[in-house]
Amino acid sequence: MADKKELAFKAKDKKSPIGADIDLNVFKSEIRETSSESDIKQIAVEERRIMENVGVNPEEKKTAGIYVQIDQNRVFYNSLTQKAEILPIKEAIEKYEWLKDYYWNAVNVDADKYTSAVELELHNGYFIRARRGQRIREPVQACLMLKTGNIKQNIHNIIIVEENAELHLVTGCVSPNILEPALHLGITEFYVKKNAKLTFTMIHRWGKRTLVRPRSAAIVEEGGVFINNYIILSDVGDLQTYPTVYLKGENSKAELYSVIYGTGKSIYDVGGRIILEAEGAKGKIVSRTIGADESIIYARGHLIGKRSGCRAHLECNGLLLSDKSRLTAIPELEAETTGVELSHEATIGKIEQEQLTYLMSRGLSEEEANSLIVRGFMTINVPDLPPTLQKTVDDAIRLTKLSGF
Amino acid sequence: MSGENILSLIDLHVSADSTPILKGVSINFEKNKVHAIVGPNGSGKSTIAKAIMGFPDYKVTRGDILYKGESILDKTITERARMGIALAFQNPPVIKGVKLDKFICKICRDCQRASDNRSGRHLGEADKCTPDLTDGFRKLLIENLKDRDINDGFSGGEIRRSELFQVISLKPEVMILDEPDSGLDYDSLKLVGRTLKEIRDAGKTTMIIITHSRYILEYLEADKVFIIDKGRKVFDGDKSILPQLEEFGYKEFLNRNKLR
Ligand SMILES: Nc1ncnc2c1ncn2[C@@H]1O[C@H](COP(=O)(O)OP(=O)(O)OP(=O)(O)O)[C@@H](O)[C@H]1O
Ligand SMILES: [Mg+2]
Repeated sequence: MADKKELAFKAKDKKSPIGADIDLNVFKSEIRETSSESDIKQIAVEERRIMENVGVNPEEKKTAGIYVQIDQNRVFYNSLTQKAEILPIKEAIEKYEWLKDYYWNAVNVDADKYTSAVELELHNGYFIRARRGQRIREPVQACLMLKTGNIKQNIHNIIIVEENAELHLVTGCVSPNILEPALHLGITEFYVKKNAKLTFTMIHRWGKRTLVRPRSAAIVEEGGVFINNYIILSDVGDLQTYPTVYLKGENSKAELYSVIYGTGKSIYDVGGRIILEAEGAKGKIVSRTIGADESIIYARGHLIGKRSGCRAHLECNGLLLSDKSRLTAIPELEAETTGVELSHEATIGKIEQEQLTYLMSRGLSEEEANSLIVRGFMTINVPDLPPTLQKTVDDAIRLTKLSGF
Repeated sequence: MSGENILSLIDLHVSADSTPILKGVSINFEKNKVHAIVGPNGSGKSTIAKAIMGFPDYKVTRGDILYKGESILDKTITERARMGIALAFQNPPVIKGVKLDKFICKICRDCQRASDNRSGRHLGEADKCTPDLTDGFRKLLIENLKDRDINDGFSGGEIRRSELFQVISLKPEVMILDEPDSGLDYDSLKLVGRTLKEIRDAGKTTMIIITHSRYILEYLEADKVFIIDKGRKVFDGDKSILPQLEEFGYKEFLNRNKLR
């Protein structure tokens, strides 16, 4: 892996083409020994409460396993089923020689200074693997918590769903409302093997000044299904992410859903890209953005069809709640051959008086009517999500304190 | 013959977009009676309904609306709804992501009584609906709409029945139905007619029905029929005029019968 380090080093000042440039040097490293243990009970009550805000509940009976990381080095993990394996990535690299074929394979190590930083100073992350043929209906839960101000958290996750396996993973990334800035860099590489299925639900809840730069990519093989469900309903300092899915196998499928409720003066730049490289590949990107307060939201979507007989659709809907908020939808479609079917639909609107009038005539107050419309707008029914996870998502939306009216 | 007036329009003038639409309409609606409002397209019938409900775009420029003897002009739509006035819309908007059954459960009077703390309830929770409500979907043959987003892709006939169902769930004292019968097939028409008849026979609701068809008014034995034309009330009678009205049409009918 020496050459990876070298590549990373060369890219250490490479700016990302999208998003404000972040000075990484102002964020400190934590001076604390790495600890990892399997006794989830050791997680403090206060920390559990924070986790619950992003749908992670280690006491949940119906869970197949859990990984919790607090700041840089405190890790708890526990695989509750033989069907899946959960390890801190640092231990996984030691254990499995073959993992190097997956490490920095979907995401380029020298993509930008953020990928570089994670390679040059790795704190930890999770390795989760659903074993061949195992269909695990209970979700695996993960929580990445950033508790301390002024630090950075560099994470590298790898998820592998082996042939014919099925995995549902929910990851909550959370920062209690610390006032100091902090930085979260998260690399996530997804590998969905032949006829395997992965649903990945990510719920973000950051502090007002947290800077966030996830870098993720997925490789989906023949007949594989990857469903990504991203929800951010909180303030954030500045977040920019643009996950890419490579549909490499015939008849593979990817669907990316995102719900962004922008508040405060937060900046959200959230994209989704699907590259359809095989015959019969199918893609779908759906995003719902809601601009309240003075938030700024970019919803990007990019479909690239490289093989005839593939099909994809992009849908960006925005709802503007405040005159001071700004929503931008940037859909891109690219066909590199004939026989590719790509389409998109982008809308940005506001709450119509007609809708308010209607709901108020049913006895709702103006505020109730507004929030009903907004919550309705945010509701996305993600296919294939186990009911417990759908409930997690619904609860997150329901419990959001709506601002902007 | 005159009973207690629950709702009165007094010399009502209404403008929308600074265009005068109603130009002095006075009508008394009697408690628990069935009133019909008829008239040519564009004459201002829906505007009357919207003004009573308090739509913000429809400004009352002169006159008054009295409900139980008091002016409601300064009341919001919400307040009017909570005071017992309900309107079935002619063209209701789509509300994305809100399921019809959950919504009816939220607005329904009985369900509200059943749950002690209304403000603590949120949509999306497994609200407990009264069996009546579940039954209502079945009775109106709209079980297929339960799980759909409100008005999203509903057919014309489905909208009529969904609107009627919502209004019934509100248990209003004054029920305004804007063309509850338009676009219904024979069976649906019978169904809606029977449902309205039940409400009439229970005798606890004042009904104001805007319609273009004679059938529903005769079936419901409308007590009063008002004709609106060009923003004015031009005729005030009862259901006995309906056959003539159908035969001659508004223009001819009004020529023969000068406003009494
Ligand atoms: N918001 C508005 N702005 C301008 N004009 C309006 C507005 N709303 C209604 N009007 C006009 O007012 C007139 C009366 O409309 P209204 O909807 O009350 O008619 P109606 O009697 O219900 O007709 P129909 O039988 O076709 O339903 C019409 O000419 C209509 O175009
Ligand atoms: Mg009308």
